[in-house]
Amino acid sequence: MKRNTLLSAILSISAAVALCLAFSPALSTAIPAFAQNQGPQAGLSPGDKQVVATFEARVKEYVKLRESLEGKLPKLSQDATPEQIEKHKTTFQEIVRAARSGAKRGDIFTPEAAALIRATIKREFKGTDRQELRKTVLVEADTKAIPLRVNYPYPESEELLEMPPTLLLKLPQLPKQVKYRFVGRNMLLVDRENGLIIDYMLDAVP
Amino acid sequence: MRRNLGLMLIIAALAFGALRQDSFGQSYSTSGSKTSAAASAPLRLSLPMKEGSVRFVVIGDTGTGGKEQYQVADLMTQYRQVYPFEFVLMMGDNLYKGEKAEDYKKKFEIPYQRLLDQKVKFYATLGNHDESNQRFYENFNMNGEEYYRFKKGNVAFYSLNSNYMDAKQLKWLEEQLSKDDSEWKIAFFHHPPYSSGGKHGSETELREVVEPLFLKYGVNVVFAGHEHFYERIKPQKGIYYFISGAGGKLRSGDVKRGSPLTEKAFDKDLSFMLIEIAKNELHFQVISRTGETVDSGVLMNQRKKSMAAAK
Repeated sequence: MKRNTLLSAILSISAAVALCLAFSPALSTAIPAFAQNQGPQAGLSPGDKQVVATFEARVKEYVKLRESLEGKLPKLSQDATPEQIEKHKTTFQEIVRAARSGAKRGDIFTPEAAALIRATIKREFKGTDRQELRKTVLVEADTKAIPLRVNYPYPESEELLEMPPTLLLKLPQLPKQVKYRFVGRNMLLVDRENGLIIDYMLDAVP
Repeated sequence: MRRNLGLMLIIAALAFGALRQDSFGQSYSTSGSKTSAAASAPLRLSLPMKEGSVRFVVIGDTGTGGKEQYQVADLMTQYRQVYPFEFVLMMGDNLYKGEKAEDYKKKFEIPYQRLLDQKVKFYATLGNHDESNQRFYENFNMNGEEYYRFKKGNVAFYSLNSNYMDAKQLKWLEEQLSKDDSEWKIAFFHHPPYSSGGKHGSETELREVVEPLFLKYGVNVVFAGHEHFYERIKPQKGIYYFISGAGGKLRSGDVKRGSPLTEKAFDKDLSFMLIEIAKNELHFQVISRTGETVDSGVLMNQRKKSMAAAK
């Protein structure tokens, strides 16, 4: 009797799981295959996975620091005035810059991480259909006035070049507080609130 | 006596100039603004103004703080008297060349002050000239998010951040769309998936990742900016695509002539769109800075249309 109950319970659970999988509206079907199967970790060697893990850990370390610093500032509400937004940004910049005064290029984009990212971008920009994309990154946006300096702000008056979505899906994923940016052939990590350049790597685009 | 007569003539001329006639024969006055309006044509409304309809405006690439932006803003304000729209969708590049407090004022608050006073809500999306911090700005109604959803009547609106379409955003979009049973689903963002622009053109990378979701979950209409002109794209895979990116800047003559994508385009002057959604119909009217209607029409809800055809 007990055995029958157990068996029917297992069967019911299996059927429920199968139904859920069959009708699940999750990400599985609509997002193009490259995004599902060839994500940042797909096809990486154990060594490369370790490089990505180190890169992500260093980004997280930065995020932890900036979160603790931002926590000391008055919280910016969802209906802030322009004055509040400006003050929050400049104060936030000041305290992060002070806390990271010794930060230098390569702290996060280690040589290993930079090499891996460079290879990922090279693969993504390969092929005739991606030539236009490369041109867009290199030519379309005028980013000459942006200084490549760690712990300095990305000038707010300058254009932000759109990051190619197909490439974003292949690069190591970042927490929401940090973004990749191209400036010419170089790639930056920029804080989305205070606008500081956290790190950068040269010649990211082949 | 002669002096008084002269004064009276001036006052009469000013009063006459401030009164204009709309297409329904109603007279209304243009309220004074800092910049003289460029509009010379009378206000003509081709929208049906149906009861209970969702009424809004679409503008893009506005934030120059220049005379032309103010002129378009002034005309929008005038049109609200004949077409009382409830809100405005902004296609990004809301603030060019700087985001100090005075930039918000000069490039947004002052030109649209009378609309803000009338409680018209602006819903913004981020362009390639916009910092992420704009999402906190009270008048952009972004609720602190770079991408967000809101609903008006039977219409769901999805504001996306096309500067940075990463896996997180795509996941959010799919989760939201998959449970959305609204009759109309409208997405708006800065970079156009289809465009006949000579400078930029279609954003094929972006299209590659968002269009499958639009198709799977029945997004009806997409509005974008980035290109500084107006373009109505021929329906692509059943979806209606518009570009409205000339609310403050113009790239004159940039639309490629003979482009197979173009249903209608206007790149000779700045423009904005009036939209009215009434049940299964989306009515649109595009107005130039000088007050000319440069495009108008009605589009049927694709899902309702296909259901009717199947019956």
